[in-house]
Amino acid sequence: MESTTQHWRYDDHIPSEPDCCATIVGMVLEQLEKNGWGNKDTFGIHMAMEEAVMNAIDHGNNRSPDKTVHLVIEICGNRFYSKITDQGEGFDPSTVPDPTEEENLEKDCGRGVMLIRNFVDVVLYNDKGNSLELTKQNSEAEA
Amino acid sequence: MSEFECITTEALENATIVKFVDQRVMNPARIESLGRELLSLVDGAVATGIVLNFDGVSFFSSAAINKLIKLESESRKNGLQLRLSNLRPEVRDLFSYTNLDSLFQIKDNQFDAIESL
Repeated sequence: MESTTQHWRYDDHIPSEPDCCATIVGMVLEQLEKNGWGNKDTFGIHMAMEEAVMNAIDHGNNRSPDKTVHLVIEICGNRFYSKITDQGEGFDPSTVPDPTEEENLEKDCGRGVMLIRNFVDVVLYNDKGNSLELTKQNSEAEA
Repeated sequence: MSEFECITTEALENATIVKFVDQRVMNPARIESLGRELLSLVDGAVATGIVLNFDGVSFFSSAAINKLIKLESESRKNGLQLRLSNLRPEVRDLFSYTNLDSLFQIKDNQFDAIESL
């Protein structure tokens, strides 16, 4: 792991434990602050990372102690990138029910996936559905 | 000493005012406790409604939102009204993006929330 205020990169496997998610998210928030990201974008990345990593831990790896989540995170000035890969069977994100539909409003399913899409610029899943890439630009940065 | 770990409560006029202890509501174990504590407010409630005051809350995960949905459902079954207030803009966006602002009544501040009960 290397860390500067200009370019920060994290590449490691974390255990399938919620506390590890909180630790990683805390590190990301710290780096975003160092790079001058504003509250709104920081909140969005926080939300997307929290939901994506917890989905990987809970739904992908079923919190198995034998499985890890591979995380790659890069913050290069005004660009955020992350790739989150679990060791689960994967899923087809197109089959997740739309949580904004009235009949789904009170169901637990699909809200996290939907929030990830709302809070970052680009979300890409691999074919298996066990890995996703998130990208976001600092919307408050001067062009 | 409060019987709760994740919330504080206060009776005000016809409402039970609830505030969150955690600034970032994201820890799964804490969220499970939060859910239990919120549901316990419905049992034996004497107030007209519950106001969830989000003052100081900077993050709220989808797992935590699920607990609010359960609270809303149980409140409705028991004839209690539920209001949300004092949400930061980013947290408020969560409810609009997910269309949950059609399920919850969200007010700008605690006074308006109590008045609407």
